[in-house]
Formats: sequence, structure tokens, C-alpha cells
Amino acid sequence: MSVEMLKVALIGNPNTGKTSVFNHLTGLNQQVGNYPGITVEKKIGYCKLTRHRKAKIIDLPGTYSLNASSLDESVVIELLMNKNGDDFPDVAIVVSDVENLKRNLLLFTQIKELEIPTILVINMSDRMKRKGISIDIPVLEKELNTKIALVSSRTKNGIDSIKTLLQDYKNISSEACLDTSLIDVTYFDRLKKAFPNQSLYKLWLVITQDVNFGKIDKKPMKDETSFSFATKSNSELKRLQQKETIARYKFINDTLKKGYVVDKSKATDLRSVLDKVLTHKVFGYVIFFGVLLLIFQAIFDWSSVPMDFIDSSFASLGDWVRHTLPGGVFTDLLVDGIIAGLGGIVIFIPQIAFLFLFISVLEESGYMSRVVFLMDRIMRRFGLSGKSVVPLISGTACAIPAIMATRNIESWKERLITILVTPFTTCSARLPVYAILIALVIPDQRILGVFNAQGLTLMFLYLLGFAAAIISAYILNKVLKIKSKSYFVVEMPNYKLPMFKNVFINVFEKTKAFLIDAGKIILAISIVLWFLASYGPGKEFSDAENIVKSEVVNQELSTLELDDKIASYKLEHSYIGIVGKTIEPVIKPLGYDWKIGIALVTSFAAREVFVGTLATIYSVGSAGEEEGTIKQKMAAEVYPNGEKIFTLASGISLLLFYAFAMQCMATLAIVKKETNSWKWPMIQLFGMTAIAYVVALISFQFLK
Amino acid sequence: MINTQEILVYITVLLAVAFLVKKYFYKPKKTSKSCGKDNCGCH
Amino acid sequence: MHTIATLKKGEKGIIQEFDIDLIPLKLIEMGCLPGNLVELVQYAPFHDPLYININDSYVAIRKETAIHISIKKVS
Repeated sequence: MSVEMLKVALIGNPNTGKTSVFNHLTGLNQQVGNYPGITVEKKIGYCKLTRHRKAKIIDLPGTYSLNASSLDESVVIELLMNKNGDDFPDVAIVVSDVENLKRNLLLFTQIKELEIPTILVINMSDRMKRKGISIDIPVLEKELNTKIALVSSRTKNGIDSIKTLLQDYKNISSEACLDTSLIDVTYFDRLKKAFPNQSLYKLWLVITQDVNFGKIDKKPMKDETSFSFATKSNSELKRLQQKETIARYKFINDTLKKGYVVDKSKATDLRSVLDKVLTHKVFGYVIFFGVLLLIFQAIFDWSSVPMDFIDSSFASLGDWVRHTLPGGVFTDLLVDGIIAGLGGIVIFIPQIAFLFLFISVLEESGYMSRVVFLMDRIMRRFGLSGKSVVPLISGTACAIPAIMATRNIESWKERLITILVTPFTTCSARLPVYAILIALVIPDQRILGVFNAQGLTLMFLYLLGFAAAIISAYILNKVLKIKSKSYFVVEMPNYKLPMFKNVFINVFEKTKAFLIDAGKIILAISIVLWFLASYGPGKEFSDAENIVKSEVVNQELSTLELDDKIASYKLEHSYIGIVGKTIEPVIKPLGYDWKIGIALVTSFAAREVFVGTLATIYSVGSAGEEEGTIKQKMAAEVYPNGEKIFTLASGISLLLFYAFAMQCMATLAIVKKETNSWKWPMIQLFGMTAIAYVVALISFQFLK
Repeated sequence: MINTQEILVYITVLLAVAFLVKKYFYKPKKTSKSCGKDNCGCH
Repeated sequence: MHTIATLKKGEKGIIQEFDIDLIPLKLIEMGCLPGNLVELVQYAPFHDPLYININDSYVAIRKETAIHISIKKVS
């Protein structure tokens, strides 16, 4: 017998525990993807109702109403209005929070008016007693013309009753509970005459927002009929929207009066106690600073153990593959291109997982909104928003998830500036580059007897990254002429103890998404770069072995040393070697030779490739990739005239170049996707690299 | 043996290039840029 | 004239009519409607943003928005 698949849309305000309900219903049986063309996360999960019926549940982004003010929210409307869409639901579940029922019901009444069978889930029932709330479910069901499931996603109470209601979905009313057209009868009458076959409320939604969907588009409507939208100005439409909201709240208040009682004398208030400390004008910032330190500690200290383990595991895997498979170019590609490339992605997992762990806990607990509140004024001076704090912190692990985290910034200008400056923050791919260069050129000595000079340099580079982000944001804010109404409205949710299951699933899904999305790009680039470094035009490359052998015929070299020399010679005459030589005149004033040039080019796969590339160029590949050896080789590297290549001047110049340059193709791809244009990633690429060039040039010329 | 390996290398590299070209230059047909930008829901 | 921006911490007021073009729809939907009660819960340094309780919803808004919402103080 075939299994019937019921399509269910899970809708709700942010902070109502919608995702917990989703996780309980579907367990780990979820898929996270993207909506076509945009990077809004699309979460789908499956839930078995009976032997013959399964539910496909789509967890829609949290939204306060059907009037979108962000990209995330517009997805909800598009999906719910497109009757012919693949994901158009048979049933809608609106999740609400028992403490914020009044506001949550606003969305519910809107969904009801779309004439989709709708179930109301009242979540967080475990808090009712503490808050002195009592609800008369049958009365509310009657007034709202729906079925209600009272659940607690914390104690799992009532989850089964949702499943029971879903099974019986045919008996759930799809009638609206109030009629929007009553707010302006004449206007809606005219609408009805112009479009007799359409639902009035849907028309109203289309008119009041620029959502493209299905066949009911604004333009064909204009052409086909004499009805003109100009009959209402934007301001008049907004006034009608306010009228609509008032009508909805009036209905909701009347309903709640009948079936919802709050006895405030019984309520205990955790919010005001915690807010007194966490949003305090001094302690609030001190605590936030402490949280930041903890996050950095986790990203850089705690994750070093698993990272070392991953590093050595991939090295042994590569060795094993090299020795097991027959020798040849494909084996080389497998080991040096694919396995090394994969290792370069997987190594970031511990840091990214820690980062998402912290962000997830901070968001679930309600603390993140307080940070947004505390930081907004300061960030706004630089053209950013309080909501830019999360991306800027995330940027210290990787710019890619950071840029995706800008999506909830409503003002397009503030969001764009955040996206543009985030790559300045010191991401973890810069760390290996910094580490080896600092060890090479900064003396390991103490300043003032306390501070280690190398440690101080590293800290300085981190601060430099933040400073560059903030200053360029300030400049962009002045330069960019984007008119953007900033409508900053941030809900301050109740404090909650984060639920382990939610945090775990969130960290798991986000890390997986990073691994797959960014991983594919980094891997593909690694393969291409490997090819460019392993193939070259002309005799010089194909005859490398004989040329080198004839050159060193008088020297006593071991086979290993000879192999290294050949590898190095080949690289010099490979495609990428030619690129390095070509750009040498440009980078010479910065104190770099063509070998560093190659490393700069390969860094576009991911910055940390710098170290691996130099290892190959200085032919230490087979002699072991331990940092010590690379460092020694780099230190011994000289120009033909005997001058050292890595001096304090060229070292600092390189450090500064890496601090500012936009060298990450994967980030550029994400920026293109998020801004929907080539313009902004190109501005980033050329702008940041130009800054890097100038700063490196000045520092080298000044120090040399 | 070496020939097979060469062929495999070219296939892999071509796949990688094709993937990158698609990632960077492919334009999705349905782009909704009407919201999340400026004045949405703010009429 | 009193607006949300002139409230002191812990003070309450009743929202009066306001110029709808200056107020984001999202805030209206949160319950910022004439006749509703508003309380200033907390403010960040420089009195901006403001953390308010409006119609039982807790939200933070910027001062630039708050100055456009006039209120009548209640004790």
C-alpha cells in the first residue's frame, strides 16, 4: 500500500520554540537546503503519523506577520501564497508562546485568512503555572475556529496531540476568523470587481508588498484591467495596514478575554532580575566582554587538540593512499589535491562547531538580543547595526557563516556594509600564515619583561582586523548613497535555559552546511590549483628530470634531495610558476619574490594553503612537512645576491598583506549569492587587495 | 597504467572547473530580490 | 510633549496618535497602536536604543523611532 504524504508548514513568531517543536516531531530526520536562488535556509523533516500516512514538515523561517520586512520572512509569504508550488501545505501549524499569545495570534489570524486548514500550537505550557496563566482551550478553539494543541517542547508534553490533530486534518477548519475587507469596504469592493476569481486577502497582500509569486503578478494585473493601484498611495496603504492590525488586535483581545487569564500576583519574574545585570550600562558590557573572551578561548585554545588530530590523520591518510595505490599522476592528485584539500576544510570543523555552539546557546537563551541592544548605538556610529555583532564575532572563525548570519539585519545598507567589512576580521585560515611568519621574523623575546613579542604581534593583528572592519564600515557609510529606512525593532525574548537537543541539532546542521557548501568550493579550487602546479607548458617542464640531473651531476645528492630539487624545478616551470614569475614585478616593491607570488595566488583556495605551497616550493615536501623544517628553509632562503628573502621588513609586509587582502574565493562566492550581484564581491576583491597592497608597500619601504 | 591515471586526472580537473564555473557564473532563473532590500512592508 | 523617548526608566504611558509614515509596520504589529500601554524597561547608554514593553511585547527600538511616538504619561 502506498504511503500518503501530508504536507505541513510550520509557522510561527521567532522565539516561540517553533524549532523545538519541529525537532521533536521529526528528530534527526531532517534535511537542510536552500530556497532556490537565495540562501535562506529551508528545513524539511519527516514524521510518521500512521502506517499509511507520513507528514512532510517544512519549518519556515520565524516571522512576526505576513508583511515581510526581511528576506527570511518573504519566503514564508511566497510559499503560502503559491497554491501550485511543490511545497504548498495541506495543513499549517502556527506555533505560539503561551506568554505572548496576544502578539502570536496576529500571525495566526493572517494565516487563517489564507484559507489553509490551520492548527494552533500553544507552546511553553510548562511556564503557565509560574506566570499565573490559565487557558480555556475549548473556548479558544471555538472563538478562533481551529484545533489547539497545548504543548511543552521542554517536557515533550503534548507533542503527540499535534500528530493526532494532523491525522484528522480534514476536519480542521480553513475558514478565516475575521474579514480584512471590512477595513475599507469601497476599496475592497472595487478590488473584487477587478479580480472576481481571486481571494481578496491574497490580493491585499500582493498589493501591500512586492512579493513576486506564481501568476498573480502586479504587472499582468495592471495590463489586463483598468484597475489602477495608484488609487491608493503608499501612505494610504500603510494607514489601511494599521487599520487591519487594529481590527486583528481587537478580535484577539475580545477572544482572549473569554479564554485567557493572567494572574500577575502569581507571576515570578526572572526577566527583570537578569536584565538588571545583563543590560546594565557597565556590568552589561563587562559580561559581554567576558563572553567574547570565552568564545575566543574556545576557538583558539580548546579546538587546537582536535585540529592537530585532524591534521595528522589526513597526513597519515595521504601517506597510506600514496603507498597503497600504484604511483602515477592520479594518485598524486588524490593525495596532494583532493586529500590535502579535504584536510584543509575538515580542519576548520572544531572551530566552527565551537562557534556555532556558543552562538546557538546565546541565541536560545535570549542573551543575544541583549547584546544587540547594548551594542547598537556603538555600531551605528560606523554604519553598522547592533545585529552586526554576531557576524563580526563569527568572522573570527570563518567569514562564510558570518556573512550568512547577516540575513536578519533589516536595513539593506547596514546589512551590505556588514557583509563588505566582515572579511577583514581575522578568520582562522589566516592563523597558520600568521603563526609561521611571526615565528620567522619576530624575535622570541619579552617586551618590558612580561609580554612576549610574538604573542603581542598576533594580538595586534587581530585588533588590526577589527579596526579595519570598523574603519572601512565608517567610510562605506559615508560613501555609499543607499537610501534605506532603518527600522530597528528587536524583540527582547524571555530568558530560557537552552535545550540540549536544539543546540546539538543546530550545531550539527550548520557545521554540515559549511562543510558541504564551502567545502565543495575549496575542494574544487584545490584540484584546479594542483593541476596548475603539476602541469606546465614546454620542454622546461616535461624534461625537468633530465635538466635537474644534468645540473647536479657533480653534487653528491641523496635520492630524496634530488626528488625535492626536481619537484621544485617543475613547480617553477609549471603554469602557476609562470603566473608567479609574471606577477613578480608587481609584488617586488612589497619585498616578495616569485615564489611568494605563487603562494599568494594559491591562497585564493584558502589562505592557509600559503604554508603548504611554500613547503612545496622550498622543496621540503618529501622531507617532511613539519613546521620546523619549513621555517628553517624559509629562513635560509636568499636572493641570488645573497640577501635574505624573509627579513623583518618583508615578513611584516606579508603579515599586513594577509591581514587586509581579500584572498578567499569561497567568501566571494557567498557574497555574490547574498548580494545577488557581482558588483559587491568585486569591490571587496579589488578594494581590500588594493588596501593590502598599499599598506604592505609602505611598511616594506619604510622598514627595509 | 599511466594513461588511465592521466585520463582520470583530466576528468577530475574538468569536473572541478565545471563546478566552479557553475558556482560563480550560473544565474538562477528565479531571483527574488524584491524583499529583504529596501522598503519591504514599509509602504 | 511627551514621547517614548522622554520616558524615564520604569515610567509608563498611553500611546497617542502618531504619524504612521515614520513608524515601521513591524512595530505597529508588535502592538504599537494608539491607546495601548507602553513602559520603558531599560535604556542603553546615550538613551538609545530603548527597551520597552508595549502591549505585553518586549522590544528594543531606536531613539529616532521613539521620538515620533507621543504618549500621555500615567502613574
